[in-house]
Amino acid sequence: MTQGIRNFIGAAALIACSFASPTFAQSPGCISLKSVAEVEKDVVDAKGQKSVTLVPATTVVPGTVVTWTVTADNVCKQPSNQVTINNAIPEHMTYVANSATGVGADITYSLDGKSFGTADQLTVQESGAARKARSDEYKHIRWVFKSALAPGAQAVARFRAVLN
Amino acid sequence: MASVRTGAAVTALALYAVFASDDAFAVGIPAGTTIDNTASVSYSVGTVTATSTSNTTSVTVAEILDVVVTVQTPSVPVAPGSTQQVIRYRVTNTGNGPETFHLVMNDAIAGDQFDPVAASPSIYLDTDGNGTLGAADAAYVAGTNDPALAADGFVTVFVVNSIPNSVIDGNIGRSSLSADARTGSGAPGTVYAGQGAAGTDAVVGTTGAIALGTGEYLVQGVSIVAAKSQAVVDQFGGTTPVPGARINYTIAVSATGTGSATGVIFADNIPANTTYVPGTLTLNNVALTDGADADAGAFETTPVTRVSVQLGTLTQASGVQTVRFAVRINN
Repeated sequence: MTQGIRNFIGAAALIACSFASPTFAQSPGCISLKSVAEVEKDVVDAKGQKSVTLVPATTVVPGTVVTWTVTADNVCKQPSNQVTINNAIPEHMTYVANSATGVGADITYSLDGKSFGTADQLTVQESGAARKARSDEYKHIRWVFKSALAPGAQAVARFRAVLN
Repeated sequence: MASVRTGAAVTALALYAVFASDDAFAVGIPAGTTIDNTASVSYSVGTVTATSTSNTTSVTVAEILDVVVTVQTPSVPVAPGSTQQVIRYRVTNTGNGPETFHLVMNDAIAGDQFDPVAASPSIYLDTDGNGTLGAADAAYVAGTNDPALAADGFVTVFVVNSIPNSVIDGNIGRSSLSADARTGSGAPGTVYAGQGAAGTDAVVGTTGAIALGTGEYLVQGVSIVAAKSQAVVDQFGGTTPVPGARINYTIAVSATGTGSATGVIFADNIPANTTYVPGTLTLNNVALTDGADADAGAFETTPVTRVSVQLGTLTQASGVQTVRFAVRINN
């Protein structure tokens, strides 16, 4: 097949897709992303049972742990692939070790926002030698969802950080 | 009658107390700071990738109310009866927002040997910041000049007392200073809604927003004791106190306690019906002349008949000073 026909087929595919999904690749796009910041609150029910619930975080004192829950909803009629959520650890806060969760996602971290790796892969130069980065040094978290996100489905990413 | 007199002041040892370590640092980031967070996502549909961002969550830092009081002069040496004695404290705002503090002193503390007496006024702020109570330092009046401290800020506070006369060397009297945040104090976690810096909530921190420091005054007093003994020697080689017999007196003078007594003079009246034997006055086995001259001893006839010995400055380390003299029982 010549290059020209190959291009023609590629272009046709593009056109076909754009007709079928008028919102494709344009804001607001196929993924609706929401973030919620919450704090833990101890509750005691009528029977005296203690449990912990999450309530919206508005004002917090240093030392408080804040939980962010990021949800990605596929609002299109096509599946979304390689859904990747990124979230920086907020300023003045420190990532709580092992708190990042996301069902179906590979989670990596970054110290500089550019290169991402697992806990075992991230290193820091100290006193002329490389050592494994501590989780309190992480500055960014990335969730790569392994499976496609079906239309109408939701991917959830969550992490916690403590206010310095 | 024997007496020991000390002239001038009994001076306490000039021991200055070790300064207490006073590292106290404020908690966290400033109250009122807002922390924003926005997530982003990338994905592909077919062969085209796209990105999107989330809403921005915004969390505001509330004010933590915390305070620490450290004693900078934990043990202040004092003499009995002294006035304007000072314990120095540091009050530090260890919260994360500016706060005003209320101060209270207390000298009726259990477990010590005496209660220092509060001076009037009893609390001063180190207005000129030189660490010493002086004329430029303002008396603290609750509700009028409560110290206002920024996060990490501190103020030096003097608590002023008198020492009762009736204390003895080694007695301890405690005098404390407490500081509490004017916005509020109490159980950690108590929220004073909207009363923090920049209109945020104020939340009581782990100190309860109240702190207490307790310093003490240590009495350094020296006392002089004199122990007198006698031995009778009669003319017949015996020990009967008959007219003509001699009485040999020995007086041991010593200082006990802390500090020094200056200008100590031992004096003893010649007993009635006896006569001083000239030339018998000695100090530590060294003969003293009877006349009033450059040496330490003298036999005086006016206003009373007595011997006197100047012992100078005595401390506990000086040891026993032994005075001897003799009289003869009159016929």
